[in-house]
Amino acid sequence: MARALWFAVLAAGLAVGVFSLAVARAGAGYSFGGASAGAGAAELGAGYALLGVGLAAWMRPRQARLGAILVAASFAWFLLEWNNPAAGSAVVFTIGLVLYAAAPPLVAHAMLAYPDGRVGWWPGRLGLALGYAGSVLVLGLLAAAAFNPAAQGCAQCPRNLLLAGGSTGTYGSLNRAGIYVGLTWTLLVIVLAAAGLARATPARRRLAAPVAVAGCAYLGLVAADFAHSLHRSFFPDGLDRRLWLGEAAALCVLSLAVVWAWVRARRTRSALAQLVIELAESPPPGGLRDVLAGVLHDPSIQLAYPLADGRLADARYRAVELTGEVTPIVRGGQQVAFLSHRPGLLAEPALAEEVAATARLALDNERLQAEAWSQLEDLRASRARIVQAGDAERRRLVRDLHDGAQQRLVTLALALRLARTRPGAGLDPALAGRIDEAEDELRAALADLRELAQGIFPVILAEEGLSAAVEALAEAAPMEITALPGERLGSPVEAAAYFVVSEAVRRAAPSTLKVSAARRDSRLVVEVEGDNMPAEITDLQDRVGALDGTVTVARGPAGRATIRAEIPCES
Amino acid sequence: MRVVIADDEVLLRDGLDRLLTEAGFDVVGKAGTARDLHREVGLAHPDVAIIDIKMPPTHTDEGLVAAQEIRASHPAVGVLVLSHYLESHYAMRLIQQHPGGAGYLLKERVSGVGVLADALVRVHEGECVIDPTIVSRLLRRAPPASALGQLTDRERQVLALMAEGRSNKAICERFFLGPKTVEGHVRNIFTKLGIGESADDHRRVLAVLSYLRSAPQPQG
Repeated sequence: MARALWFAVLAAGLAVGVFSLAVARAGAGYSFGGASAGAGAAELGAGYALLGVGLAAWMRPRQARLGAILVAASFAWFLLEWNNPAAGSAVVFTIGLVLYAAAPPLVAHAMLAYPDGRVGWWPGRLGLALGYAGSVLVLGLLAAAAFNPAAQGCAQCPRNLLLAGGSTGTYGSLNRAGIYVGLTWTLLVIVLAAAGLARATPARRRLAAPVAVAGCAYLGLVAADFAHSLHRSFFPDGLDRRLWLGEAAALCVLSLAVVWAWVRARRTRSALAQLVIELAESPPPGGLRDVLAGVLHDPSIQLAYPLADGRLADARYRAVELTGEVTPIVRGGQQVAFLSHRPGLLAEPALAEEVAATARLALDNERLQAEAWSQLEDLRASRARIVQAGDAERRRLVRDLHDGAQQRLVTLALALRLARTRPGAGLDPALAGRIDEAEDELRAALADLRELAQGIFPVILAEEGLSAAVEALAEAAPMEITALPGERLGSPVEAAAYFVVSEAVRRAAPSTLKVSAARRDSRLVVEVEGDNMPAEITDLQDRVGALDGTVTVARGPAGRATIRAEIPCES
Repeated sequence: MRVVIADDEVLLRDGLDRLLTEAGFDVVGKAGTARDLHREVGLAHPDVAIIDIKMPPTHTDEGLVAAQEIRASHPAVGVLVLSHYLESHYAMRLIQQHPGGAGYLLKERVSGVGVLADALVRVHEGECVIDPTIVSRLLRRAPPASALGQLTDRERQVLALMAEGRSNKAICERFFLGPKTVEGHVRNIFTKLGIGESADDHRRVLAVLSYLRSAPQPQG
């Protein structure tokens, strides 16, 4: 249905153009486009340009209103010729009388309403209301009602169907009034258009400026013609025709400006679409930012996703600092992402929507990824806290053992010794023997206690570091140490690395271990090779995993295996 | 012999005081913190300071640090560190700067007045004393195929005594050997282990301990 209407309007527009030119040529002396072949070309060129652009806009989302206005302007442009004495038909002649001046307010309307067809600013609407009133009501309807062709000296003119009476003077006054109104509103709209441009964001200004400049040029010529026609008769003269040619040129430029904006938008959109297709095939996390930076020609672009706790992060869950101008990408009423960019880059509201629509899948993908990362990171941080709290508890326990039980046992041993060596009184040999036994027990207890404390959390690890602690391990269980870090690392890292080694020592066959721990870039790599290595290393994986590291066991020939842990250490 | 005792545990400090006094030592000062210890050493001019490795505030190695400071500031005062830690790392830290006149014993040695008295006398005489448990632990781990494994039993015994800080004279007395025989053993040990011989007994302890501490490598 809409399509049929569209074709009907197209056909009507083409027909009106041809008919108007025919009328103009028939009454060349009274016409604008009929005087020469060049004028005819200008007539059709400007009218069809408006018609074509208007119909194209009509088909586009969000620009249908603009399209309708442009199509109307195209018809009005042709109707200028219809009040020609050679119109041949009273109906045509009368329509011409009413609507011959309708093109300027329609063009002004299209200019102020560019690009979405709406005039949001009330002074703009006021200016347009004045324009329609002056051109269609005063110069058109009212003047037509008072226009008596015969009385104006046009004997060959067709009949004016609207003629209601009134004298030549009435018509002249109405005409003059309409012209003054015309001068007023055209100049007003030019000022408003300039002010609108000044108020607009840079990107919108870049977009709207060509249309506004062409429209203002057209309205300026119209104003000049108004001023000129105060002093001439009903029919156009040479200056009128030259001004009219200028108007035709301005309208062609205006049409081209509208088309140029489409081409520009299309270029961006098609690049976006193309790249999103590529992204959909193998989207690397964080790749969308690079794509957008390339497509929008702005390397400073940052893409950030709001997380549940209000932080902003990129797809790889790195904190993002948004600088410069920030455009929220909104879908379903929710801000799903923020784009920071060069000032004015996305000032056209439609473009941000295009970005959101075209990159929808990639956006969703990255946003979910960021969220997943954030949850993973929270979990990891929580695990790390649990391990650290456990280590702190172990250290406290060891300190308590050393300061409490061990100290008391030593004191007790000393007391026994004092009792044993009491001077003077000879000690009962049997009692002395018991005390000696007790002392032996105490020594064994102290050795056990020391071993226990060592296993819980060696003091040497906390105080002297990983290398000293592994060397101390080697004093109790022979192992070949090929590398140890020469520097202290963070205590969670050292503890994790130490427990990898000590766990292997505890469970593997003795005398077969090869141990190395070395810093590689930002990771500590611990390798323990030996026989009968533990198969179950979940506890180690938990501890190392809490630091975002990994533990693997590689089985070699003849029952040998290597436990390898990689632990990130902040430099 | 004039002795200062530093230990933050009052009971132990007093018990040690009694034990040493009964054994004929002259306890001239007692301290519960490193600061008090420094003051006592400055005031009482002891021959040896007995220092618990764990002292306030962190109860980890303050005693060791204080002992090193005393060795540096009062070279005439020997230090005997009593420690809960079996790791040779701490003993090495103590003797690395000033090997002579320093000793490192496990804390439970306080109940063996003989060992304690012997260590005090040796430290006072400028020797270096390392707890035998630490040395035997280091020796025990050597794989049979290593250079250490190639030593004879007697050589191992001599090596252990050297690592404990004993002089050749003490080794002679222990095994009822002549000085030439012991010197021969020492030379053999150094040749087999590939350690440069050192005239100084203290440096010898360092060299031997360092050798034992380095991970024993099986010989190809």
